[in-house]
Amino acid sequence: MINFKKVTKIFYPKTVALRDISLMVEPKEFVSIVGQSGAGKSTMIKILTAEDKPDQGKVIIGGWDITDIKQKEIPILRRQIGVVYQDFKLLPKKTVFENVAFALEVCGIGSHKIKNVIPQVLKIVGLKDKIDRYPHQLSGGEVQRAAIARALVHRPKILLADEPTGNLDSLNTKDIIDLLLKINEFGTTVMLVTHNKDVVNRIKKRVVLMDQGQIISDQEEGKYVL
Amino acid sequence: MLTSTFRVIRFAFQDFFRNFWLSFVTLTILILALFSINLLIVFNIVAKSAIASIENKIDISIYFKPEIPEDQVQSVQRYLQNLAEVKDIQYISKDQALENFKNKHKDNPKIIESLAEIEKNPLGASLVIKAKSTSSYPVILENLKDPQYNTLIESKDFDDHRQIIDRISGITRKINYGVFVVALVFTLISILIIFNAIRMAIYTHREEIVAMKLVGATNWFVRGPYLLQGIIFSVLAVLITVIIIYPLLGFIQPYLAMILESDFNIVNYFNQNFAFIFGFELLGAIILNLISSYWAVNRYVRV
Repeated sequence: MINFKKVTKIFYPKTVALRDISLMVEPKEFVSIVGQSGAGKSTMIKILTAEDKPDQGKVIIGGWDITDIKQKEIPILRRQIGVVYQDFKLLPKKTVFENVAFALEVCGIGSHKIKNVIPQVLKIVGLKDKIDRYPHQLSGGEVQRAAIARALVHRPKILLADEPTGNLDSLNTKDIIDLLLKINEFGTTVMLVTHNKDVVNRIKKRVVLMDQGQIISDQEEGKYVL
Repeated sequence: MLTSTFRVIRFAFQDFFRNFWLSFVTLTILILALFSINLLIVFNIVAKSAIASIENKIDISIYFKPEIPEDQVQSVQRYLQNLAEVKDIQYISKDQALENFKNKHKDNPKIIESLAEIEKNPLGASLVIKAKSTSSYPVILENLKDPQYNTLIESKDFDDHRQIIDRISGITRKINYGVFVVALVFTLISILIIFNAIRMAIYTHREEIVAMKLVGATNWFVRGPYLLQGIIFSVLAVLITVIIIYPLLGFIQPYLAMILESDFNIVNYFNQNFAFIFGFELLGAIILNLISSYWAVNRYVRV
C-alpha cells in the first residue's frame, strides 16, 4: 500500500531529514512510526501528502508513484488519503458537520449524499450529538474526533495520523487511539506517527523506530524503548 | 462544475457573515478610501469652477473712435466672433456708452455739467470681449492689428489689465498642477490602503487556507470565495459611499454657490456624471480587490 524505496530528503543547506529510507506498509496494517523529535517521522507524512518531495528514491502509494507528482495531481492524491494532525487543522468558522462535509465538497460530491453520509461517520467517532457545534465549542478530544471524521468520510484506504494525541490528555489520548484501532479493524491502513511510548507499547502493533533520519528497527508487535 | 460554483458562492457569503467584525473593518477601510477619492473629486471640481468663475469676470474692451458708424463696428464684431479664441462679444452703442458713463459718474456734478456743455456725445461705440481662456487675449488683440480694423480703434484696456490677467493665468496653471499632484498622491495612498486591508484580512485566514489545501481542495476552490468576497466588498463599499456622499454634497452646495457666486451645482455635476464617477470607482475597487485577494491567497495556497 505504501512503499518508500531508498528515500532521502535534505533540507537546505545540510539537514538530512531522511537518509536512504526503505519501508513497505501492507494494506490493512497498523504501523507506528516512533522516535524522538527530529527523527524524520513527520517528514515521511509530509512526503506522503506531497507537502514535500524526496530528493532521492521513490514513493509509491497504492501503485501510484508520487515521487514527481505534478501540482495539479496533488489535490487528487490528498482526497484519497485521510490525514489527522496534532493541531487538528479544522476550519474554525465551520460547524462539525461543515468541516466534515468539506472533505466531500472538494471532491464534488452532491449535497444529498453528503447529508446522508456525515451523520453515520459522526456516529462512528461519537460526535453525533455535536453536529452543529463549532470547534471552539468542543473539547480537545472532540475536536480531534471531528478531524478523524473528516479524514475518514471519503473512505480512504490509508489514514495518516501525525502526532494526533500530542495536544490531548491521557484519557482523550486513549479514546483517540482506540478509535484509530477501530478504523483499522474496518480495513483501513493506518500509519501513526508518535513519540508517546505509552501509546505504542499499549497497542502492540508493528513499530518502526527512527533516529536521525534512519530506520533503526522494524518489529511486528514491537515496543518503543527509549 | 456548477455544484462547485454554487459552493464557492455559498462559502463567500458564509465567510463574510461568520467573520462579521473582520468584514466590517475591511469594508470600513474601503469606504474611507473611496470617500477620500470622492472628496478629491469635489475639491478638483470646485477648484476648476472657482478658476472659471474668476476667468469669467475678465474681459477686455475695444473703444472705437466716435465718428465710426455702427455698421463698421458691427463688422468688426462679426470678424472677432469668428475667431476660435473668442467666447462672447457684447456690443455697446454710442448712446448706451454715454448712458453708462452718466450713471457711473452721476455723483460727480462737474463731469455731468461738462457733458451737458459739450452737447454732442463724445464717446464711441465699444465691444466687450470675453475669451475662452485668459491666454487667448493677446491672440485676439494681435488679430486687431490688421490695418483694416486698427484705424477704427481709439483704445483698448488690455494693457491695464495685462498684469492681472498674466498673474491669474499663472495661478490657474499652478492650481491645476497642484490638484493633479494631490489627486495622484491620494489615489496611490487609497490603492495601498485597500491592498493592505485585503491582504491583512486574508492573512487572518492563512491557517484555514492551508487546512483546506491539505484536505484536497484545488487552488481555485480555495481562492474562489475570497475573490468573490472582494467583489462583494467593492459593491457594498461603493453603495455605502454613494449613500454617504450625496447628503454631504447637498449640505455644502449652498455654501459653494455663495462662495463661487455662480450657478454651479455640485449635486447636479455628480448626477450628470454618476455612471462615470461611481462606475469607474466600482471597476477600480473590484480590480484592486481581485488582484490583492489573488496575490494574498497565493502566498498560502502553495502547500
